[in-house]
Amino acid sequence: MFELESQIRKWKTHLYSAGSIGHADIEELESHLRDSIDDLSARGIDIEEAFLLAVRRLGDIAVIHEEFAKLSTEDVWRQLLVPADNPLTARKNRKELAIVIGLALFAGLLSKIPALFGYGDIEASMEIYARNATFFAFVPVSLYFIWKRSLPIRQSLLVMCSYVVLAAVINLYPTHEPHHTMMLAALHLPIVILFLLMYFYGGPSNQSHNGWRSTNTRLNFVRFVGESFIYCILIGLGGIVLILLTGGTFELIEVDAFPFIGSWMAPMGFFGLFTVAAYLVGQKKNLIESIAPVLAKIFTPLFLLVLLSLIAAFIITPNQAYENRDMLIWFDVILALVLALTLYSMSAKDFSENESTVTVDGKPAVGKVQNQHLIWDILTLALVISAVIVDAIALSGIIVRLSASGFTPNKTAALGENIILLVNLVLLTIGYSRYILRKGTFQRIVVMQMRFLTVFAVWAAFVVVAFPLIFGFK
Amino acid sequence: MTLSKDLVAASATPIILAILQAKDSYGYAIIQKVQEISDHQIAWTDGMLYPVLHRLETAGFIESYWLDADSGRRRKYYHITTAGNEECALLKQQWSVVQHALQVLSEEYMK
Repeated sequence: MFELESQIRKWKTHLYSAGSIGHADIEELESHLRDSIDDLSARGIDIEEAFLLAVRRLGDIAVIHEEFAKLSTEDVWRQLLVPADNPLTARKNRKELAIVIGLALFAGLLSKIPALFGYGDIEASMEIYARNATFFAFVPVSLYFIWKRSLPIRQSLLVMCSYVVLAAVINLYPTHEPHHTMMLAALHLPIVILFLLMYFYGGPSNQSHNGWRSTNTRLNFVRFVGESFIYCILIGLGGIVLILLTGGTFELIEVDAFPFIGSWMAPMGFFGLFTVAAYLVGQKKNLIESIAPVLAKIFTPLFLLVLLSLIAAFIITPNQAYENRDMLIWFDVILALVLALTLYSMSAKDFSENESTVTVDGKPAVGKVQNQHLIWDILTLALVISAVIVDAIALSGIIVRLSASGFTPNKTAALGENIILLVNLVLLTIGYSRYILRKGTFQRIVVMQMRFLTVFAVWAAFVVVAFPLIFGFK
Repeated sequence: MTLSKDLVAASATPIILAILQAKDSYGYAIIQKVQEISDHQIAWTDGMLYPVLHRLETAGFIESYWLDADSGRRRKYYHITTAGNEECALLKQQWSVVQHALQVLSEEYMK
């Protein structure tokens, strides 16, 4: 069965991938392609034929790219703040920009709330800031999406209420030495909030609208998080340079700017960053869209090497892994990164490709393309399998430590995370193996993985809400 | 008979500008119009039109804006500017100089 929409999507992705054609230009070409297809099919040519003909009439994509590249070498960055194509969009863009700047400032002001209660010194009351940082950063992002997607206010307020409940839990629970449950709660809170943010990103799910529950929305959200992360790092680096310059310059004229920087400039900039990144991801899709698959491809083999050397290191000196507590923590961090990378490359992959192959004379026309991807799928599978092995090592290490000293909050949290990670990685191994052996579709892996996100969120919420109660707030 | 590549490239600008002088239009319609008026003798590769439009826009000869068609499809329309009108007149003049020269030559040959 020929699916026009997925073919057009594929064609667009192909155009994007070289990066020289901007978002608006691709939209223009798409509109042309559709006109052309409509005309051809009105003349009685069937839709598949019409698509192929229309694409051919547009000409060799490589040549179009070359022509566009000549035009746009200097203005790739200028596209960042979208040029207005007509007065109406111009006004809307300006309004959006104003709202984004307002929300970024609002994020900074939120971070000043503890100061109202006498906790103005960030370093002295680090705990309070650590507990609430997630809210400072993500409440404005949620508000941005409520505005941007015109979400129904009543339901949005309901989800917002869960923010309030979490904020109450994390701030009002008592906490005793050595504060382990509190620190764990602070560490797990971002996961819960990110999951809730998915609601604002995707909107409510109902019959007419595929909202935050749908696999596609979740996949887009994963990509959104990955891209925001890249933007945050880019802008953050710029911010650090700006701060150092400001401080340094004022020092030269013997004005100590660092108190101002420490209590205003840095926190305002840091917490505002997230809203600005969310805005930029939405505005400038194609800039990062072409980077994402490249990043995934660069880091997949590198992480595979890291995992393999970890396994090798463990075989040579097995006792180290069990006795050194830090090593287990680093194992966990690396595993989480591997999972994030797998998720990211999943979202960057154009998985519709294999589902709807164009057939010419009964043979799949894009057979070669599939083979090109195969090597990456095998690499990903290797990555996931070695992650399973590393996770098994980490898990056995935790169990050894548990039997030695009983259930402490940190070890229980690590245990829970490792079990969930292990289950997830095993499911991924099965999924990828089936996919490579052509017994299952890629779509199935994605559906499984996107559903599994809920498990992480539920566990994180459990650590935030229930752990302090179970372990007596210690 | 189809035109040579160089000739297509050289004639594209005056033709596009002249079409836009009549009324604002979008890429696909411009190509349809060209085929119609040239009786399919001038065949452009569709995709090559857009870089040309880009260049004309950067040069300030045309402006663009998006409009939603009745079908709901978004289309990018182009509008000729004063500078574009002047350019068009100039190019037409240049072409008629060439045409005139060719005509004189062929008349001399006929004699």
